[in-house]
Amino acid sequence: MTTQNGCTAQEIMAVFLARELQDGELLQVGVAMPVAEAAVRLAHSLHGPNMELIFLGTRLNVAHLDSLPMPAFGWDRRVVRWAESYSDTGHRFDRLKDWHKRVFFIGGVQVDPHGNTNLIGVGSEYTQLRFRGPGSVGTPTLSSHVGRYYIVLNSHTARTFVERCDYISTVGWGSGGADARKKLGLPGGGPKYCITPLCVMDFTEDEKRMRLRSLHPGVSVKQVEAHTGFPLVIPERVPTTALPTAEELHILRSRVDRAGVLRRERG
Amino acid sequence: MSAGERTQHILDEAEAASWIEDGMAVAVGEPAPMALLRHIIRRKVSHLTVVASGLALDLLIAAGCVAKAISYYAGGGFGVAVAPSFRRAVERGQVETWECEEGILTAGLRAAAQALPFLPWRGGVGTSLPEVNPDLKVITDPIQGETLLAVPAIKPDVTLLHAATSDPYGNVQHFGGPGWLDLFLYRAAERTIVQVEKIIANEDVRSNPWATTIAAADGVVRMPYGAHPFYSRGYYITDSAFLKTYVRAATTAAQDDPAALQHFLSYYCREPGTHGDYLERIGIKRLLSLYEY
Repeated sequence: MTTQNGCTAQEIMAVFLARELQDGELLQVGVAMPVAEAAVRLAHSLHGPNMELIFLGTRLNVAHLDSLPMPAFGWDRRVVRWAESYSDTGHRFDRLKDWHKRVFFIGGVQVDPHGNTNLIGVGSEYTQLRFRGPGSVGTPTLSSHVGRYYIVLNSHTARTFVERCDYISTVGWGSGGADARKKLGLPGGGPKYCITPLCVMDFTEDEKRMRLRSLHPGVSVKQVEAHTGFPLVIPERVPTTALPTAEELHILRSRVDRAGVLRRERG
Repeated sequence: MSAGERTQHILDEAEAASWIEDGMAVAVGEPAPMALLRHIIRRKVSHLTVVASGLALDLLIAAGCVAKAISYYAGGGFGVAVAPSFRRAVERGQVETWECEEGILTAGLRAAAQALPFLPWRGGVGTSLPEVNPDLKVITDPIQGETLLAVPAIKPDVTLLHAATSDPYGNVQHFGGPGWLDLFLYRAAERTIVQVEKIIANEDVRSNPWATTIAAADGVVRMPYGAHPFYSRGYYITDSAFLKTYVRAATTAAQDDPAALQHFLSYYCREPGTHGDYLERIGIKRLLSLYEY
């Protein structure tokens, strides 16, 4: 999908996310999250000289560089040389108590109305899955502790947005309700938004049920509903997701996503 | 009177490979010690329980070495979201999975290292993990009454790692920091073998003991370019083109066309008798093209 001003849905998503991120925050991005990776790098460039970016075990601040020279993802010397410190020296997960300062991004094979997500697989029998997912990586621990996180998906289909996840690898708002996470004893703030190539969704204040927040340009409510496998809360007025400004798009393309990863068609 | 000679920990390739036997629990570091893994494949070691991730795990599964995978992540990269051989084998019930995630895995490894039966962990509370992995017990903590998971000790028989250098006594120094879970895997394991780019003198270690990341690895093996096709910090970068070739072959094999994968396994893993033979097949020009940081 390409909009009138020539940007793609992935670019709209990245810019939306970048605006969400505040200077001074610790932003952790895992593997296979190109939109989130671009978003934190863009925010770092535009308004985040005190942001700390955490890619795998590498913690870095590269705001002073003309371009952010990290490859899409990897952990060889090309990334690691920009680090100011590593979390791989045998003490990973030892300062969880401070993770309320961190922001994280997760994907999912399935997402339910309360923002619970599944990276384990699809199928009723765990020992004979129809689709085996990649596994939970560190998402159960991160999502339990970080101040807030964003669910970021590369596609929006009724296969992904399901009434019930076959397996839950990350608890969002559990079985619903504003106190759902507190009841489980999870200190982190939970998912704030779910962002897809079609729209941005948030969660209702009382039930913590997924609600349409804004539509990307050219997308209709009907289209979103047709691609979502459960009834979304639809407010009376649904605004259009703000487009990237010319400056944001310029910085995104010239300093962050020089390879054009977000401009490629995704299947 | 002399007390005798200090014992060196240097193993040759064949000795190192002989430490791995059918049915063992073997942990694989990151970057993966590929030269040792190729020996495991060549020797047709089977029924292993492996603590491993990504494409190194996938290759061991493709070669039929694995009965059970303890893995927090089996992503593929290079266009595939899930490692193809892992996905196929698990969907068909050929490989058992011990479902976990990084925090749970490190809690279990730490429990083993500290000679504890388990350690508590919060990440995973409220998820399906304790349902699909009954070894993870939901407990009430006796101090504050919180709901937590008890993660049993995870004890590898042998941990296999790749690092930059070691002296002959197993004092290992990584370059640019130890790999992903390397120190957790080392501390938890009964024995650890580290393959290194270079064996250095004991005096070199003594000149910078703070750089020693692993003290007294049980075995060290000299394997220059031994992490290929993965990276080795300070020496070479990832050989992405080679990994793409593997992913393509594994993907077509998962669609019931195993010819390319079988060729890959034979040509790169089974036929080369030594690491040197493997490097000859890769070729000096290709290896030198990766020689940067």
